[in-house]
Amino acid sequence: MRRLLVSLGLAGLISAFVRLRGSGGIPPQQGGWRELSGPDLR
Amino acid sequence: MARAVRPRSALTAVAGTVLVVGCGVVGTRVARHLADSAWVSTVVIDDPTSLYRKGLVASKPRVSPLGMRSWESVAPDVVVLALPAGHVEPAARALRLGANVVSVGDAVADGRGLFALGPMAASLERRVVIGAGYAPGLTCLLARHGSAEFDEVDEIHVAKTGTAGPACARQHHAALSSESLDWRDGRWERFVGGSGRELCWFPDPIGGVDCYRAALVDPMLLQPVFPEARRITARVGATRRDRATARLPMLRRPHPEAGDGAVRVEVRGRRDWRVDSIVLGSAARASIGTAAVAAVAVEELLAGRFVGPSAGGLAAQVADPVTMLRAVAALGVVCLKFEGATVGSVEPRRRASEAV
Repeated sequence: MRRLLVSLGLAGLISAFVRLRGSGGIPPQQGGWRELSGPDLR
Repeated sequence: MARAVRPRSALTAVAGTVLVVGCGVVGTRVARHLADSAWVSTVVIDDPTSLYRKGLVASKPRVSPLGMRSWESVAPDVVVLALPAGHVEPAARALRLGANVVSVGDAVADGRGLFALGPMAASLERRVVIGAGYAPGLTCLLARHGSAEFDEVDEIHVAKTGTAGPACARQHHAALSSESLDWRDGRWERFVGGSGRELCWFPDPIGGVDCYRAALVDPMLLQPVFPEARRITARVGATRRDRATARLPMLRRPHPEAGDGAVRVEVRGRRDWRVDSIVLGSAARASIGTAAVAAVAVEELLAGRFVGPSAGGLAAQVADPVTMLRAVAALGVVCLKFEGATVGSVEPRRRASEAV
């Protein structure tokens, strides 16, 4: 019973860690932000 | 340094009286902008507990506290609701007085309640502007502006990060643990708040932030304007600690005012027979962005430039988003466009009606 509870607890901790941590993402490799002005705001 | 008073256009009939209810970080900035506006004759602030009230009244001659006066005696043309939450009852009260309403709130319950005031506002020939802030608000304007580049809009994805004052931070915390509503293929779908992580890239200096579903009003405001869109979603930036503690009470008191924030709107659709997408955004303190949008919304209301339904977001009510975006930029909240990289699919695709 104790083993079961410990293993369940560990599984919960590991899944919570993985869920919260995640794997990130890929940043844009090119391009950038440009201010909207002139023809953009006509 | 005092900001120059903006010129009033020929459309102006009479400068109006504005009642700002709630004078926290956002309300104070809204009142400051309006005190410098040529569209506004008097700004009255209704918040006896505000820490900012005395300084505001001392520095701006056109601003006065409500004090012992009633709303009726002030007879406002526009009531700006910059309260933490519970905007429906004061909005109804303002409508009964014959005032237009500008709400900067982003709570879903408030959004629903304010939409429900539509028939009342229509019968009184008044307007209720819902979510006239940074997000929703500026995001609605960016979505409208971005959609003009497409023949058909398929998807709109809104993301925001950062909070304004403590009330906004509490709302952000509550939203992460509440049910999220996404518009998918013609119906509303509910998702658990804090799910659906997406790494969103905001304008500098924010950069990449993990964003999650939350109880946000943005899809409700955008869906009536883009009924043909298959997907409309909204996400909020959060840290791991935010997610882990979302269902607990806030562990520490929120900051008086948070740092930089940002918003981002991705519009996907079809133009020239191909699928394309554009990303528009802005980076500013959320309180600065919210106050600028709310102040410009008040000016547009007083100028009589709003059209469409009596209750709705800026995307539904504004006649020309470009005019508002220019006015917001003049208040220091610059909008940006992501360029130089392909975002999303660009596969050529024909409409079903075009297929032979």
